[in-house]
Amino acid sequence: MSLKKFSELFGDLDSINSTNNKIEILKNYFLSNDPIDNSWAIYLLTGKSNKRFISGRYLKNLFSQIYEYPQWLIDTCYLKVGDSAEVITLLLKNKTNFRKKELSNISLNELLSETIPALSKLNEEEKNLEIKNLWETLPEDNHLIFNKILTGTFRVGVSIGLIIKSISKLINIDEEIISHRLMGNFKPSIDSYKFLINKNINLQELNSKPFPFLLANAIEDKIFKNSINDFQFEWKYDGIRMQLIKRSGSVSLWTRGQELVNESFPELVEKMSHIKDDFVLDGELLVWNFKEEIAFDFSLLQKRINRKSPTRSIQIKYPIIFIAYDLLEINGRDIREIKLENRRIELEKYFSKWQIKTENNISDIFKICDLIFPKDWPDALNYKEKSRENNTEGLIIKKKTSIYSSGRKKGIWWKYKVDPMQLDAVLIYAKGGSGRRAGLYTDYSFALWKDKELIKFASAYSGLTNIEIKELDKWIRKNTIEKFGPVRSLKPEMVFEISFEKIQISKRHKSGIAVRFPRITKWRKDKKINDADSLENAYELMKKIS
Amino acid sequence: MRTKQEYLISYKDGNLYCKLADIWIDPSKPVKKALITHAHFDHFTFGCEEYISTKETAILLKERVGDNIKIKTFEYGEEFKINGINISFHPSGHILGSSQIRFIFAEEKWLISGDFKLQKDQTCKQYEIVKTDYLISECTFGLPIFKWDESSKIANDISKWITNSPEKTSLLFCYSLGKAQRLLNEISQTNFKGNIYSHGSIHKMNNTYRELGIDIKDTIKIENKKKIDELKGSLILLPPSLSKGSYLKNYKNIQTAFASGWMSIRALRKRSGYDKGFVISDHADWDGILEVVKKSEAKNVFFHHGDSEALSKYLVEKESINVLFFGK
Repeated sequence: MSLKKFSELFGDLDSINSTNNKIEILKNYFLSNDPIDNSWAIYLLTGKSNKRFISGRYLKNLFSQIYEYPQWLIDTCYLKVGDSAEVITLLLKNKTNFRKKELSNISLNELLSETIPALSKLNEEEKNLEIKNLWETLPEDNHLIFNKILTGTFRVGVSIGLIIKSISKLINIDEEIISHRLMGNFKPSIDSYKFLINKNINLQELNSKPFPFLLANAIEDKIFKNSINDFQFEWKYDGIRMQLIKRSGSVSLWTRGQELVNESFPELVEKMSHIKDDFVLDGELLVWNFKEEIAFDFSLLQKRINRKSPTRSIQIKYPIIFIAYDLLEINGRDIREIKLENRRIELEKYFSKWQIKTENNISDIFKICDLIFPKDWPDALNYKEKSRENNTEGLIIKKKTSIYSSGRKKGIWWKYKVDPMQLDAVLIYAKGGSGRRAGLYTDYSFALWKDKELIKFASAYSGLTNIEIKELDKWIRKNTIEKFGPVRSLKPEMVFEISFEKIQISKRHKSGIAVRFPRITKWRKDKKINDADSLENAYELMKKIS
Repeated sequence: MRTKQEYLISYKDGNLYCKLADIWIDPSKPVKKALITHAHFDHFTFGCEEYISTKETAILLKERVGDNIKIKTFEYGEEFKINGINISFHPSGHILGSSQIRFIFAEEKWLISGDFKLQKDQTCKQYEIVKTDYLISECTFGLPIFKWDESSKIANDISKWITNSPEKTSLLFCYSLGKAQRLLNEISQTNFKGNIYSHGSIHKMNNTYRELGIDIKDTIKIENKKKIDELKGSLILLPPSLSKGSYLKNYKNIQTAFASGWMSIRALRKRSGYDKGFVISDHADWDGILEVVKKSEAKNVFFHHGDSEALSKYLVEKESINVLFFGK
């Protein structure tokens, strides 16, 4: 099967908006291709192939070097296109006189399992020669796919859910099962594809894999009409959502992003393996302040996530805890179909058993989440407002009678997040966007007043509608003071309301503060720049919170 | 060296102007005398006392805006004199009747390219290479990322696009004058044999093309209240202005596409809101512009209609061609 077919699939998926059509196209693709190519296709489409073999910059330099093309011209083109792989693909169209007559009919499998991995074993000169050779022998239609895989930027508008749906339709098996089979380290091979489309469901082979996660929806007004007693209330922690699984004696720790992270948190794996029962727990991993019984900031957790086999001193410096929300399976019995309130009873029962009967003390690394009991909805609001005090983001509200299904199911779990903090700031810089926003100025920097000077305090990309983006883009082009490469400094005139989640002192920034998740929530056309907030206002906000 | 004020053609109020003949080229405001390169509306404005164009351009314009304008016409290659300047139209390959305009004064030649393309197009005369001293060229697609495929290949892609979705009505958006007729001509040579409908504005231009001797496939004028089932599997050509707003609510189960050179950029294609983009343009691509610059043998080149920075730098650095700029 040739790479061409996959290129066509990419083109089709990229140009069709209807979900049903996409499913149909995927189904047909799987039906008409080899298992091995199918497994690679799934691997690519589910975004598991983000490994970068060479950088976009390298790709552009290489093209410039091979074809004696001015670097500045490639850079100018990049500003229009916003993607290195695509720029080089378009520029290669001009190089038809370099094309070999004998085109290679390489398969997706060959490309991904042999050709591209082999590149990293070559020295730079050989590697460059090989890429040039591939450019000149691959059919033109395959260039985009090739360049994108090479630069680790292959992405297409297909969700994992869509892949699951199409395989589910292909073999007529529930989406949950497929979703389960796709969790974790999917390694492309004939066997992994055959396992995926196996019509016999074998629980044994699913042993270490997590259940699909159930996710909360944003709060809806209609919930307030219900009795408060119908719901279970928990704090919404800002950590890493995980499933902690112990089956047949071995422990596995899965993130919601379907990553197995045992190696990053060995102390948790070790402690939990002493528990006699088998179980699947849904919960959150946090770096925990044991003295005050609250979570540390997410930034501390980041110091643990990407570090495999952390030293003892790291483990002590950043002590972790797993807070269990839910019990999904106990001693081989899947209890997701029983009501939440009953699962909670089971969770509490087993937790107290484990605390007494486990050889090692588990309470320095594991607990179950405390419940909150607001007496009515206004009281729930009070709890929500207090959530910053214990470093949580608000409340999670769960229907007591709900079963544990999968995905962002409506009407059973809600997140009730604390209102963001806001400041009005002045737009001072803009930068060209990339990808879908190429050619438009979509990356903005905002400033606050300090005496009579505007000091940059945050950058934000999201929050404006497409119409507003276009309007602002026009304004930016007309009101540029100076250009520095892709960045323009602007006439201070536009005021925006910027919302963010956290504000703290930062020595790295000129403003002396750093904010988390800044985003534009309103274009304050009604405000003049003198109405914008000052750094002093920001400091006050910080004081109020801590 | 002369200063820019002495150039035969200069830039005035955003328009090309020949002071010596007191004549404007495609002016955007009413003037006394206007040379019109072609019949697209962004090159035409009402209220000029006199227009001068090719015969085809005049007929197309009158069809679009009515008979109430005074147009003098000349054949391609036919020279006429205004204030001692020899002026002539030459085919530019953009659409039917489109032209480059050459000025000769005191043995100095100036050429305004107008909108042009070099690609084959059976609905209009092929671009004619005209030698000149000064060239004023458009550069709408003046970056090397723009490289057009053969239009027959694009037509086959369109044909496949329609026949692969027999349950759908395929709406193809394109400019009503020029692009639509070129597409019809190309599509009629593909395997697609289904019905083709066109919007009134396109239908009208098809007829005019036919009257001017161009072979354009017969299409059915689209009626708003057409039964949906009848349109399944057929192609409908519509002007881009109808892609936004409520017009599309008239249809069910559709797929949409836009035929334009800009569709070669994925980000623009995504942002445009059409399902699909077909890359076909009536303007020259990068190679086309370079070819015209070289073959015209111009020693001095000006650019307008587009982002000319990169193109100018490239010509100066790589081809040692003198690129000049009109003062704003």
